[in-house]
This record gives sequence, structure tokens and C-alpha cells, in this order.
Amino acid sequence: MGPFLQLAANGVSQGLLIGIAALSITLVFGVARFPNAATGDVMTLGAYAGLVAHGETHSLAAAGMVAVAVGAAAGVAAHWLVFRRLAGRSVVSLLVASVGVAFVIRAGLGLVFGQAQAVFQVPLVRAQSWWGIRLTPLDVQISTVAVLALLAVFATLYLTPIGRQMRAVADDRDLARVSGIRVSRVLVALWIIAGGIAGLGGMMLGLKAVVEPEIGWNVLLPAFTAAILGGIGSAPGAVLAGLLLGVVSEVSTPFVGFSYKVAVSFLIMLMVLLVRPRGLFGRIEGAR
Amino acid sequence: MEAYLVAIATITLIYVLLALGLTIQFGLTGLINFGHVGFFAIGAYASALLSLKGVPLPLCFVAAALSPALAAVPIGLVTLRLREDYFAIVTLGFSEVVRVVITNEQWLTSGTQGIPGIPRLFPGLTGLTAQGAVLATIGGVALAAVWMIHRMACSPFGRVIQAIRDNEVAVRALGKDPIGFKLQVLAVGAALAGVAGAFYAHDITYVTPDQFIPLVTFYVWMAVILGGVERVSGAVVGTVILMLFLEGSRFLRDLVPLVHEGGVSEVSMASVRIGLVGLLLIAFVIKRPQGLMGHR
Repeated sequence: MGPFLQLAANGVSQGLLIGIAALSITLVFGVARFPNAATGDVMTLGAYAGLVAHGETHSLAAAGMVAVAVGAAAGVAAHWLVFRRLAGRSVVSLLVASVGVAFVIRAGLGLVFGQAQAVFQVPLVRAQSWWGIRLTPLDVQISTVAVLALLAVFATLYLTPIGRQMRAVADDRDLARVSGIRVSRVLVALWIIAGGIAGLGGMMLGLKAVVEPEIGWNVLLPAFTAAILGGIGSAPGAVLAGLLLGVVSEVSTPFVGFSYKVAVSFLIMLMVLLVRPRGLFGRIEGAR
Repeated sequence: MEAYLVAIATITLIYVLLALGLTIQFGLTGLINFGHVGFFAIGAYASALLSLKGVPLPLCFVAAALSPALAAVPIGLVTLRLREDYFAIVTLGFSEVVRVVITNEQWLTSGTQGIPGIPRLFPGLTGLTAQGAVLATIGGVALAAVWMIHRMACSPFGRVIQAIRDNEVAVRALGKDPIGFKLQVLAVGAALAGVAGAFYAHDITYVTPDQFIPLVTFYVWMAVILGGVERVSGAVVGTVILMLFLEGSRFLRDLVPLVHEGGVSEVSMASVRIGLVGLLLIAFVIKRPQGLMGHR
């Protein structure tokens, strides 16, 4: 039982990050109505931004804020330069354009930072035992920050006027517009949130392991899986599904091996699409 | 120089086969296949492994066409009844899983080391003659594929799949089953990608998982979008431009140091290439969605 609890704990801390990525994807999917393939590379951008900021300031808090700011800026820039011009066009156009955005970000990072791996220079601290589960203080910090970030997003979505407007636009864009909601403003807010949490999630991924050019791309598939499992457009669903996926893929590691984690999330995605394509909390018309 | 040109022409035709697969799937039917490289990889590995076991090459090519088509069926059955973007995500995931499997099942594929020494197509011939014979064979297959797609587009089958692209609900209302048609289209496109993979494996003579990254899928997408998605000529023209761009960027590197002192490493060049693919995808989607050869 012990090793499984340990794996489950690792899964929760990994799952929170998948949940953050899935939340970014599902918000964009719900409001702007396309699967944003650039999410992964915005996370990579956040990881490198955090790395540079940490190198300058030696403060993880400052690095986190820079990662959020850079991610949000990238999101808004992509919206203004690309996605805004494709309003009303088919999903394919937006999807292909988002792949283009992902490649442009990756190319920029490749030119500036090269292909080498980098690590955050944080002191190594021994793992502590909590009821038989060993966690490093860094893991605990990362998970705490992830939970706080998620709470902040949910507070924005459910307690503020802009969040209410965002949910209205997600429900029915035309109805929202005739009700006097300025959709363009809501979209900017959406991209600030979606880009910001992606940037933060990317930095925390880099903090847990190493920062490398494919760090964000590698969580894109689990994140899409979580977004679909949670029900496209459902923010709580994305986070819960991310946690579930994190735990399942960690606990399955002893059986399928480390390198097949990606395949596990792919199989889960296929199963969900086969059995319940609208996911845990999605609406029926969403999937078909 | 001739050897170089023939080699480039061969690779171009391999990409033309890939682009034609996407033309059937996306251009005619509207399937957003983001995992084309997965089918390409299955074809390449199937033919490479079988030929090394001593299976005659024609049979290897049949296997290279059939195996990706078979792999496409379960993917299609699960996703084709859902919204189009789900299909895109699932195929993207599929191609990543194919790469993970190839990397990890070392007993079969020798993992990241790859499989060297894959036999060439015409072992009896040497030098430029052999290269020319390979080129002519691929050219013949590509022409046959172009002819097939033309015939297909004008046939009743082709009218149904184009109707599915334009309005699936209407097709269903007319009593046709879109999923069956989409499955066939998916399998045909995957088979074309598999044949392209077999040609690739026997031309390059070694395969490694690194050759089958998602970027290849998006090279083909770039070619198809550049040329114009709905037209066969678009796939061909787009691929030629793609190859000029990929090969040209190689020469560009030798030119750039004259302007820019530090010089450009191979790593930065790879970044520049990815960046240009990204910019071209964005620019064409925004400014000229019908592509160069499109009419609208």
C-alpha cells in the first residue's frame, strides 16, 4: 500500500499541473471555441521566463510573477495578432493557426536559449515524511501555489463581473453580445487568464524537473485528455480530470513503465471518447 | 550535382504522396488529420522490418499500405462520429504514441538507435541508374495516386465525401452514412502515407524514431495549405515550394554569415525553420485560406 500512496501523492502534485494546463485549454475552448495547440509552448515560454527571472532575482515568487506576466502577454499577443483576425472562421483555421503560434514561440525560444536543458538553481532540500509519504518542501510549495492559482481563477470566473461575462460568452456569444457584454473585452480577459496560468504551470513544471524546449509540448496530450475527460468548457471538470489523470498515470507507472505515460493518457482519451464523449461535466451538444 | 537533384526530387515525391493523402482526407472530406506522421512511420517501419526478414519488396509495400490503414480504423471508429476537432487531437496523440512505441519496443525496432541497412529498391542497379529507377517508380506511384484522386473526386463516392465536408447533417438527412465514408477516406489516406513511408525507408536505408516527429505532419500541412487544400495541383505545388524552402534554408545558412558575423549553427537553423513554418501557416490561414492554386 505504501508505494501506491507515494505514487498517488506524486500523481496529485503532477495532476495539479496537468489540471492547470487543462484549465487553460478548456477556458479557450469554451469561450473562443477552438482547441489551442499553442498552450504547451506558452507553458515552455513561462518556464524559460521564470528561469531567467529566477537567475536575476533568486526569488521564486518573483519568477512566478514574471512567468504569469509573460504567459499572459503571449496569450494576448496571440489573440491580437492571430486569433482575433480569424473570428467567425472555421475551427480548422483557428486550430492550424494555433499550431503556427506554437511553432513561432518554440522557434523564438530555440533561438534565444538553444536546445540545451537548464535547471532552476534552488537548494536541494531533503524530502520529509508526512504520514509515510515522502515529499520535498518544494513539491509542497508548488502544489500550494497551484491550488492558490486555481482558486484565483475560479474566484475570477464565479465572483467577478468579468468572470460572469466570460461564462455568458461561453454559453451563447450572440446572446451575450445583445445583452450588452463587450465580447472583445471578455476575450482579452480570457487570454490574460489562459496565458497567465499556462505560463505559471510551465514554470512549475520546469521547477519540478528540468527546463527543456519540449517541456510544454509533452504535457499537451495529457492536458487535452484532461480537458476532454472533464468535459470541454467545464473549468472544474478540467481540474478534477487533471488530478485524476495525474494519479492514474503515476499509479500505473509500475505496470506500464515510465515511458508509456503518454500512451496511458492517450488510451484514457480514447476510452472517454468511446464511452462518454461529453466528459464528466460537459454538455451533450459539446462533443457531437 | 545530378545525384543531389535526383535525391531531392525523390524526397519531394515522397512528400507529394503524403500531401495527396492529406488532400483526400482534409481537402476533399474535411478530416483534420494531425497525426499523418504516425501513419508514415508505421509504413516505414513495417516495410523496413519485413524487408530485413527477407520478405520480397513488393509484399513489403503491400504491408506498408495495409498496416497504417488498419491502424487508422480503430482511431476512426472512436472519433469520427464526434466533432472534427476531437479527431485532430486524437490523431495528434496517436502519432506521439506511435513514436513512443517505436522508441521503447527495442526488441522490434531497436529503439532510438534505429534500423540501419534497409535494402534499396533496385539492388541490381548502381549509382545514378538506381536512383533514377527509384525516382521513376515513385513518380509512377505519385501519378497513379493523382489520377486516382481525380477519378475519386468526380465519382459518386467523391461527391458524397465533398458533401460531408460541406454539410454533414445534410448528407445524413439524404440517407448516407458519413462515418463509413470517412473511415474509408481515412484508411486510403493512411495507406498513401504508409507507401510514402516505405519509399522513405528504402530510399534513406535507415529509420529512427527521430525522423517521425510531429513537425513532419505540419510540414505536410504547410504544403497542402500553401498550395490550396481542395486541389490536387495544390498538394503538388505546395510540396515543391516546401522542398525549395527546406533545402533553400540549408543554402541560406552558408549565405547568412556574410551578413551576420556570428554565423548560424545547425540548432538555430532548425529554430528558424520551425519559426518560418509557423509564420507561413498563420499567414496563409489569415490572408489566403484557399492557398496559391485555390479559386474562390
